Amino acid sequence: MNRKLVSLVILLGLAFVIAGCGGKDAEVLDDPTATVTTPAETVPTTPVAEDPAPTEVVPSGPTAEDYARMAPQEYGIEDVFFAFDQYALSYEAMRLLEANARIMKEHSSLVYVVEGHCDERGTVEYNLALGEKRAQAVRDYLVNQGVPSSQLRLTSYGEERPFARGGNESAWALNRRAHFSRP
Amino acid sequence: MRLRTSILCLLMLLGAAGARAQEIEIGIVKQAFERYDILVMPLEVTSGGTEAQQDAWTVESVMSLDLDYSGLFRALSPQEADTAAVSFGIEGVLEGRLPGTAVTAAEAAPVLTLRLVSQPGRQVLLNKRYRPTAGQLRASAHHFVNEVVQLIMGEPGIALTRIVFSRGSDDRRDIYCVDYDGEGLKRLTANRRLNLFPAWSPDGTQIAFMSWEEGQQGLYLLETATGDVSVVNRTLGSNLGPTWSPDGKELLASLSKTGQHEIYRIRLKDGHLQRLTVSDAIEVSPSWSPNGRDIVFTSDRTGSPQLYVMGGDGSGRRRLSFEGRYNDAASWSPNGELIVYACREQDITQVVLMNQDGSERRFLTDASWGNCEDPAWAPDSRHVVFASDRSGLFKLYVMDVTDGSARQLTFGDEPDTTPHWSR
Repeated sequence: MNRKLVSLVILLGLAFVIAGCGGKDAEVLDDPTATVTTPAETVPTTPVAEDPAPTEVVPSGPTAEDYARMAPQEYGIEDVFFAFDQYALSYEAMRLLEANARIMKEHSSLVYVVEGHCDERGTVEYNLALGEKRAQAVRDYLVNQGVPSSQLRLTSYGEERPFARGGNESAWALNRRAHFSRP
Repeated sequence: MRLRTSILCLLMLLGAAGARAQEIEIGIVKQAFERYDILVMPLEVTSGGTEAQQDAWTVESVMSLDLDYSGLFRALSPQEADTAAVSFGIEGVLEGRLPGTAVTAAEAAPVLTLRLVSQPGRQVLLNKRYRPTAGQLRASAHHFVNEVVQLIMGEPGIALTRIVFSRGSDDRRDIYCVDYDGEGLKRLTANRRLNLFPAWSPDGTQIAFMSWEEGQQGLYLLETATGDVSVVNRTLGSNLGPTWSPDGKELLASLSKTGQHEIYRIRLKDGHLQRLTVSDAIEVSPSWSPNGRDIVFTSDRTGSPQLYVMGGDGSGRRRLSFEGRYNDAASWSPNGELIVYACREQDITQVVLMNQDGSERRFLTDASWGNCEDPAWAPDSRHVVFASDRSGLFKLYVMDVTDGSARQLTFGDEPDTTPHWSR
């Protein structure tokens, strides 16, 4: 968990550096949430995300049982991020979810918990409801992409299980997410 | 705050000095108000040696703190007091058992006699005898102070109340309870889960709370006597809340089993659900008025969380909060007159008080308090407990809403949140 956090923070830092020197790329900028959700795109937890090939079931590859033991992030399922007090999906979030949906449909026996999370600002109870709204938005989009709803369960942890510590925007941005876990 | 008429007459007859206004250090402003001075005399220890003397000091200090914490009195020792100016005094006798003379636990208990006397005049207004067995000494002192408050002020004291809350972080949070004075901390759950929103039943025999089991939120009941836990509701989606009905027969909660967060009444005897709201908005944080007729709750139907009131059947909804963009976590005072809630302004959450009709909003905390959340009333409608991160970590604080004076209730290096005060 800690290692993952560290790599997240490093990658986030890199993202800012790249954003700082790389100038503009083909990002959608008419969406005000785009800057906030940037971390999502730049947080591929493993190289697997860039290359969907290993997720194909080939004789030498992992079996269904292997996948069932792995964290979803280990085979390319990525978390999506939200703007403050929002549960609408950004353009980036939708693209990520489309990729997630493809992987989920390939492993139709696996069930996922979509966890909604919030940053620490705001009240405990309202944030729990907001987290669930985020999880619902993600579930609904995945179902639209053809993922059977039986593969998805929802929960909200509100602000109770933060991914990053710190009372600043970079920590808050990491904590406003829908996270995929095993039941 | 008025002295009960009978006691006032008595005081006038006795020619006792009235209360003196005094100034105390408080959170936001300094404000003069009336507290009644009360002399706490050293107890006479007739037997039992040093152990009994220790017990006597414990009783004296518990009573003195209780009187101060009531917000109604100021406890003074004989050295501090101008005895001629003080209206009341507490004195007593502690008869400890000599070591080796006790045969049973009951026999080992000291005999504690406490008296409230008018000052001067030394007329006995109250005379109580206790046999506190092991661990009951503090409770005896608390009980006597409650009797004093009841006699002089005509209202029940809060010295025997307790506060239940959630302690811990991330994956592991347990329900704890603590005496209202910060003593007697006890952990009530050990299920290695995330447990939040504990709420005492009106009779104090049960605690309703929310917990995650295998990634699913549920509402549970804990029997305080046995520690047994039972499921109240585990419908899919959110199970937020809970808060008790004044008669203890129902819970209010926000459930999202339809996909939308709506307020429900949950009948405890059979789990029957009665839906009270219908909207696409987030509707959370319901709290019953003490007479059971109305419910205050939070809805973000206008785009930001605001407080609303509706009848107990969901009818007659009307908006209550018009100031501030983010209002949540309302709680109705036990006397029905006030509502305390959390308001987020300029990126900081504060505790705010208003009249039950929504008028006269006033902040109880300011920026020096950091973020303050989850206010809950004491049964005296005078004190609230809430969580503040002013020390860098959420801990619980008790505030007297009449003057803003406050004290820290819980300590330690784990966050404490979602407190609720026993009735």
